[in-house]
Amino acid sequence: MPSSNHDSPLESIPSPPMAASAFQAQKSRYSLAEGAPRARSEITLPYRMSAPSAASLYASTLSPPGSRSQSPIGRPVSRLAAGSIFGGFANNALALVDGVGDSPGDPLNLILKAFVPHVAVYSSEDTDLLLREKGFELGLWEILRPFGDRVAGKVIIRDSNGLSRTYEDYSVHFVRYGEGIEHPEPMNSNIKSPAQSEKVAGSSEKDTGSQQTRRRGGNGADVEAVVERHLSYAEESFGISPQLLDPKQGLDTETPSPYYSLYLRRLLSGLPLVPHETFAHPVACVIAISSRNPSPIETLRRLYNDTSAGEKRLPSWVDSEYLRYYVLVHDEEKDDITKSMSLFEQMKRNLGLHCHLLRIRGTQSAATDDDSIPLATSEWMSAAEELANLRKHESQEDFEDPTRYIYESDATAIRTFIREMVTQSIIPTMERHVSVWNDQVASKRKGVTGRIMGLTRRWGFGTTSKSSSGPGSSNYDTLGFYRQDAPEAIMRKLADYCFMLRDWKLAHSTYDILRSDFHGDKAWKYHAAANEMAALSMLIMPQTMSSKTRTETIDTMFDAAFYSYLTRCTAPYGAIRCLTLGLELLRLRGGSSVDEAAKWGTRLLESRIAGPIGDALIKERLAVCYASKKAVGTHAWGARRRKSAMWSALSAETWLAQAKYIQAQRCLNEARKTYGDLPNDQGIDHFAEASAFMLEIGHQLNQHLQSNDQGENSSDDEGSEPVDEESEVMNERGRRISTLGLPGATAATLEAAPLRSQTTDEDDDVDSGKPNNDFG
Amino acid sequence: MSYYFAIVGTQDNPLFEHEFGTSKQGGDGMSRFNEAARHMNQFILHSSLDIVEEVQWGTSQMYLKHVDKFFNNFISCYITAGNIKFLLLHQPTTPNSAAAASSRSSTSIAANPTSPQTEEAVRNFFVEVYENWAKTIMNPFYRVNMEVRSPVFRQRVAAAGRKYL
Repeated sequence: MPSSNHDSPLESIPSPPMAASAFQAQKSRYSLAEGAPRARSEITLPYRMSAPSAASLYASTLSPPGSRSQSPIGRPVSRLAAGSIFGGFANNALALVDGVGDSPGDPLNLILKAFVPHVAVYSSEDTDLLLREKGFELGLWEILRPFGDRVAGKVIIRDSNGLSRTYEDYSVHFVRYGEGIEHPEPMNSNIKSPAQSEKVAGSSEKDTGSQQTRRRGGNGADVEAVVERHLSYAEESFGISPQLLDPKQGLDTETPSPYYSLYLRRLLSGLPLVPHETFAHPVACVIAISSRNPSPIETLRRLYNDTSAGEKRLPSWVDSEYLRYYVLVHDEEKDDITKSMSLFEQMKRNLGLHCHLLRIRGTQSAATDDDSIPLATSEWMSAAEELANLRKHESQEDFEDPTRYIYESDATAIRTFIREMVTQSIIPTMERHVSVWNDQVASKRKGVTGRIMGLTRRWGFGTTSKSSSGPGSSNYDTLGFYRQDAPEAIMRKLADYCFMLRDWKLAHSTYDILRSDFHGDKAWKYHAAANEMAALSMLIMPQTMSSKTRTETIDTMFDAAFYSYLTRCTAPYGAIRCLTLGLELLRLRGGSSVDEAAKWGTRLLESRIAGPIGDALIKERLAVCYASKKAVGTHAWGARRRKSAMWSALSAETWLAQAKYIQAQRCLNEARKTYGDLPNDQGIDHFAEASAFMLEIGHQLNQHLQSNDQGENSSDDEGSEPVDEESEVMNERGRRISTLGLPGATAATLEAAPLRSQTTDEDDDVDSGKPNNDFG
Repeated sequence: MSYYFAIVGTQDNPLFEHEFGTSKQGGDGMSRFNEAARHMNQFILHSSLDIVEEVQWGTSQMYLKHVDKFFNNFISCYITAGNIKFLLLHQPTTPNSAAAASSRSSTSIAANPTSPQTEEAVRNFFVEVYENWAKTIMNPFYRVNMEVRSPVFRQRVAAAGRKYL
């Protein structure tokens, strides 16, 4: 079947059944595409009735983020149904770069969108004032940020070989200048004295205090807390949601659960500005003044000086040669455009071509205005920030809708601005940097001579390289970090730039060199990060890999990264990030990689670094992971259905322990369904203790959910649902689940009253007789 | 070291289950499974059938050695000619009690579930059980996938466990 013609729009029309059955993956994509809007309307409807205002805060888990109507960025025509994203059955390679942006919750998509260029925003006081009048308390950054989630139109990137590739889903992250800096621990001695770590903790405490609550990400506990709140909210607002608990749906291996993708997203949001990886280092800095400024050129100069010298300068491990992009914000309503135009001309003469005139209206837009559109909150707000928002909402009595509106014309202007900045300034600058660094620094280290040179430098033979360090000493020892001009730091930057520009090959080879360098220098955090990214870039590369290379290279890299993060640096955040991303990418490769993925997942569980929520989510994910392994032949050899079912059952138990009944119910239903679908009808029922365990979970859930139900007696009568249940009873294979599984099925079949009484009868039946007596 | 031994029929139905502990190094032959997580043994064993069904086609041996691992639990499998699976779950003693044990035990089969010695010991156990199993199911009243309740068979399995594990 052709998978190359997925660009043609005709393909998106559901093709005849023949084609659909040939491509199972494709088929589920169809159903996904059709199912998503329906599900959303189902969910939001009862929801709006109960608490209209708070909905927007929890929108990301209530509906798939992609189908949010309030996104300011026009999404292209969906190509969901077209072509196979993961290569149909030839699942050992990822053809990922095309069309991956269409399913926003997809882990791969999340990875691509998380590691993107970060653009710092540094604006003058008058600009902040202008934006504050417009209703944006936090200044220009706040209004720009949602638009960075998707750069309008196509972005063309040339890789190191000069090949151009076009991306439609490119994004950048806007951050506030100088925010979220995490200083490395001083490396004066190898022994960390408690006093020292105290000091570090104290200083970071002070930092966060000065920045109020707007901290950056990189904190596992915050991520947990956010997901926890989303879950509790779901528990409170609707007892049972039909879409999540549809027992016939089975494990959806294509789209992750909204909570899991939220977890991943928050894990990857707001990457902290740290020395050991440069993703959060600014690639460019937007220096903005407004048309109200009395002395514009002087202000620009002052702002520039702030970013390159003085107090506000970024630490010495951040490359200070990033691009400065000058923006003149023009107030359309109060100021004279001709004056601004002449000022802009002057800016261009003085400051070069990296300038933009942004024309926006200076007044606040209200929802009632004709040409206003709602401004979405950024998908990439950090966990701490979202947590602060949620807390604020809880503390307030009368909650005002956080949705803000801007004029259509403003949105267009900002979109144009970002597009111009990205395509004409940022991307070319990055490409230039990559080629320069690759020629000047990295190429010396590649090839035989380069490796020998690296050795001699390290062991102190012969002349040292041009860096200032003496023979035998590395660039790392004295400071605890690499200075921005050290070759290692530049190479790390090169690799990260390549990763952001999606040139996986060069990124991987550079990370690979760095791994050994950092290991030699005992720069463990750098070592961990380089290993992590080397493994990830290798997994993203669309090439097949034998199981041998996988076990030899990928495993050692993940192993080294995990060990260094966790044991040597005590950085659980890095460890979680590394293994969850590894799990996802390995899972997507299919085949025996699925087992590897599960191995790393269990490793993560074993280490107990994730909190209770993460623990449950990972268990749930492992079930999906095993379920996504394709079986061969009529007997379904090579599938992992029993394992998948076991993990579903275990995650149900974990959710139940945390009083997340909806999730528990969903997992239990999945476990039952998977067990019921096994070739022999009985699943695990003959194992007495295991099936008693599942029954027990079902009973507990039933009690909780019923008590919830009685509280909020639903008025709508779902006539069709009991019929569905009947039809399932008819089904020979499903017979076992439907009789045994009725404790769970109550929830699955909604709040219809007659069903509940029927269920309790059935419960007693099941309770009194042994579960397997009718098979004996 | 605790063991959970199960014989699983062709329909994923357990035909015989037995729990015991090690008798080597002064073990009392009692299993030390966590009571609260007892169901886990069955879950793990059942889920490892996935792996067994894959591995069984890749070898001509009946003894498949150690096929699966779940955290700290290791699963060995022996598959009979009639597609009946002998599954043995071994759970090494928890680290804190292992620390108390003498260094001699570090070479024992209990401490190294994947070592060749362990594989060999498990094989001997399986072979002996298989012999007894074949004798037991020769019973003219026995039909395939029927649970085995013979106390004699249970005794013999326990004896094999004492002898080898």
